[in-house]
Amino acid sequence: MTSITDIDAVAIPKRKAGPKGETVISVSGLTPGAARYSRMFDFLVVAAVVPLFAGAFHLHVMLTVGDWDMYVDWKDRQYWPLVTPISMIMFPAALQAIFWVNFRLPIGATVGATVLLITTWLGRYANWWIWTGFPFTEGVPSQVIAGALLMDMALIVLRNSLFTSIFAGFAFGFVFWPSNYSALAPFYLPVEHQGMVASLADMIGYTFPRSNMPEYLRIIERGTLRTFGSSVSWVSAAFAGFICIFMHQLWWQLGRFASQTTFLKNGDVVKSFMGMKSRPAS
Amino acid sequence: MSDAALDRTPNVTGTKTLSINYGLFAFAIVALTILYICARLYQQAFGFSMGLDASSPEFGEYWMTLFRIELPVLYGAGALCWTYLFLTRDKNIEAITPEVELRSYFYLTMWLVVYSFCIFWTGSFFADGDGVWHQTTLRDTPFTPSHIILFYATIPIYLFFGVGSFVYAMTRIPAFCRGISLMHVFAVVGPFLILPNLGFNEWGHAYWLTEEIFSHPLHWGFVVLGWCALALAGVLMQIVGRFRELVPIVFKQEAASA
Amino acid sequence: MRTRTVQFYDVHFSKTDVKVNERFELTGKFRLMEDWPDAVTPPDIVFVSSVSPGPTIARVETYLNGEPARQSFAKLELGRDYDFRMVLEGRTSGSSHIHPSISIKGSGPLVGPGQWINISGDAHSFAFPIKTMTGLQIDDLQTFGLTNAIGWHVAWLAVAAAWLLFWLVRPLFLPRWLVLQKGREDLLVSLRDTGVGIIVAAIVLVMVFGGYVRANQEYPYNVPLQSGLNKVAPRPASPADAEVKVISATYDVPGRSMRLATRITNKGSEPLSIGELTTANIRFLNQGLPAAIANVDPTYPRDLVARTGLELSSDTPINPGETREVLVEATDAVWELERLVSFLTDVDSKFGGLLLLYTPNGKRVIAEMGGPIVPVFTELK
Repeated sequence: MTSITDIDAVAIPKRKAGPKGETVISVSGLTPGAARYSRMFDFLVVAAVVPLFAGAFHLHVMLTVGDWDMYVDWKDRQYWPLVTPISMIMFPAALQAIFWVNFRLPIGATVGATVLLITTWLGRYANWWIWTGFPFTEGVPSQVIAGALLMDMALIVLRNSLFTSIFAGFAFGFVFWPSNYSALAPFYLPVEHQGMVASLADMIGYTFPRSNMPEYLRIIERGTLRTFGSSVSWVSAAFAGFICIFMHQLWWQLGRFASQTTFLKNGDVVKSFMGMKSRPAS
Repeated sequence: MSDAALDRTPNVTGTKTLSINYGLFAFAIVALTILYICARLYQQAFGFSMGLDASSPEFGEYWMTLFRIELPVLYGAGALCWTYLFLTRDKNIEAITPEVELRSYFYLTMWLVVYSFCIFWTGSFFADGDGVWHQTTLRDTPFTPSHIILFYATIPIYLFFGVGSFVYAMTRIPAFCRGISLMHVFAVVGPFLILPNLGFNEWGHAYWLTEEIFSHPLHWGFVVLGWCALALAGVLMQIVGRFRELVPIVFKQEAASA
Repeated sequence: MRTRTVQFYDVHFSKTDVKVNERFELTGKFRLMEDWPDAVTPPDIVFVSSVSPGPTIARVETYLNGEPARQSFAKLELGRDYDFRMVLEGRTSGSSHIHPSISIKGSGPLVGPGQWINISGDAHSFAFPIKTMTGLQIDDLQTFGLTNAIGWHVAWLAVAAAWLLFWLVRPLFLPRWLVLQKGREDLLVSLRDTGVGIIVAAIVLVMVFGGYVRANQEYPYNVPLQSGLNKVAPRPASPADAEVKVISATYDVPGRSMRLATRITNKGSEPLSIGELTTANIRFLNQGLPAAIANVDPTYPRDLVARTGLELSSDTPINPGETREVLVEATDAVWELERLVSFLTDVDSKFGGLLLLYTPNGKRVIAEMGGPIVPVFTELK
């Protein structure tokens, strides 16, 4: 096992102890040449992180939140503000753990939320509009950047995953509704259509038909005798916040699990097959 | 980590540059971008005009022909590449110099960048196109203009690079030959299993879910396998961990003269 | 299986050539077959729709038996007829194959006969104006609200980008990890960073709740998405003037011919002639009966009308009260082109269809029929 001291002896110029004048590079012990390559490595990692999570997170959202995020006429007050943040907190929470635990970078959640929104709009343009001709109004997506920023800010202040789960996990779920309502409010204007009330969102979904998605497939609020009037969305927001507390912690742990550096023992035959000279086990 | 490299005398004479060649990496990114855009343009040109009825002769001509070409070509290219990587392996992998090893780690990272790039086109771009296709047209068979690109072209392409990264690491980097990186296995095998999971998906669409609801549990197999992308974090930590050991040796002279 | 579900008839396209933004109507009727297959969910929740290659047309109004059909309907009745009317509008220039469709929850869309609609003009000129109940005149439903939505998303992306750049300009993975291993977290996240974080959090909260309050002030009369099922009564049942019993049915595979031995009883007061067999949108006409020919709408897709027509063992009218056995033969490649020979691979080899009979003065009587069908592989004989 090489100790840190060994490396310091090799690589770190002796310098006066103390925080004054110290930089991350100087304390890391990287020489200028090594730092240059380390920066190149940074670029490569960022170049991997962006497309990897644009792909994996978007796929995850498409197949868990799916239609609620896709269509404006699925964005109801009961399920959309509940299902969407619960699913959309997963990757940001795991990324937060990966970036924070290993590198003390408080950006993981924001990275996840940002690449998701960008890649979602890219799909809306390249596929929804260019290929099938759906107007952009029909596919306005949700955004979780507001909640993700709050999660990262909570982490930098609290520096603790448990408190981040409790406070920022809740905040992530809770602010989903208000932070998206600002963008979507115009779509809930009422219109009269065939003698019945409809929201503009209903009308958009109706006017530009999705042949394979009949109206009844929408899993949206049906209302009950116990519905709390207009406050129903805030009830959904609070419930989403509650679930997001646990979801955040669960996925934080998954992010930590994914960061492990375990090497399983490889068989001697495979090793020698791959080019490793057999030698006595150390 | 028990380490052989640190015992050896490193070749550090004048080591300021690692002579990393980014050419193939850049070529792969550019070539893949062109390939993916061409695939999308093909969908644009022949999706609605030739691809609405899987039983029609024009569907056979424009789509099934593509299917029959892409499947052997892409899997064949993958197999060739993996074989090439294996045949050109270092036969005495423990003996490589720290500088070569460090460079190999950079190349492994590049393999993983390209793999991630492919995951984007598959998991986001073409999967989104598949979604919008299914909401628009009636599903008739497992072969649609969106599936023929998504499932049978973009998946073999990312397998090319995912499996390629694994073979590269195992044949060029001592730690990845000595042991099997658990997270690397997750990161490659998870997305790989999306392919056999298609059987479940199509079975479900035939007998269970006859309508299109994207968030339906039938699709969650893809989701869980997609989560395996997170495991690349573990590979990153393995690379960074080894950098800590290699960098001081490779840049020893620079440190001494500082 | 399709032949035992929804039978469309009297389908009419008011125009087949329209301009962008020009309206046309798609009308027709359908019968929900009494012998509904087990494999298809009963029509308990139904949506009346159209099938098109993407939103090449815009949907303006839809009706089922005169009731508004923007939302879905509950519990349609088997063995009964419904009529539909859709007001559609050309949107994307080019030729579009448009079908009426009845979607049934649990089974999906069952499509009616499709017709090519040629849409001419500039697709970019399409606009869908609408007036809200608050008095706001919207020029185009395709773009209204988009500036606001995208503006918010760009604003969020800008804040996120600023935060990310604040960190990404620093040395990242290897040096930070090395420093962390040395226990020097103080270098990685400083007090100043924390202060910036608190400021960003404050900005986020102001944007979230400020934006929400502003949206509420700007749109005080918003409504939730409208849901719920509508109810509709079927068309009045016409008197069962004819009863058709299928004694035996075979499908000649190489000959692409369906042969039915039927027992037809005229229960009405006028003689009846067999005019048409229709199932799953394809139509076999008794070409010797003018009333049957006249019943084919000029806009009905010609590829769904079998050229060979219907062959009958007895072509004379069936008198009131008479029961007659008639051999009905429907031969055409359209069985295979429309993929209706799936009873060869179905687990439940049955068929269904409507037999249309006519009185001497052209009144139409619709009789449902169906039963097991036996494929005949004549080459094996």
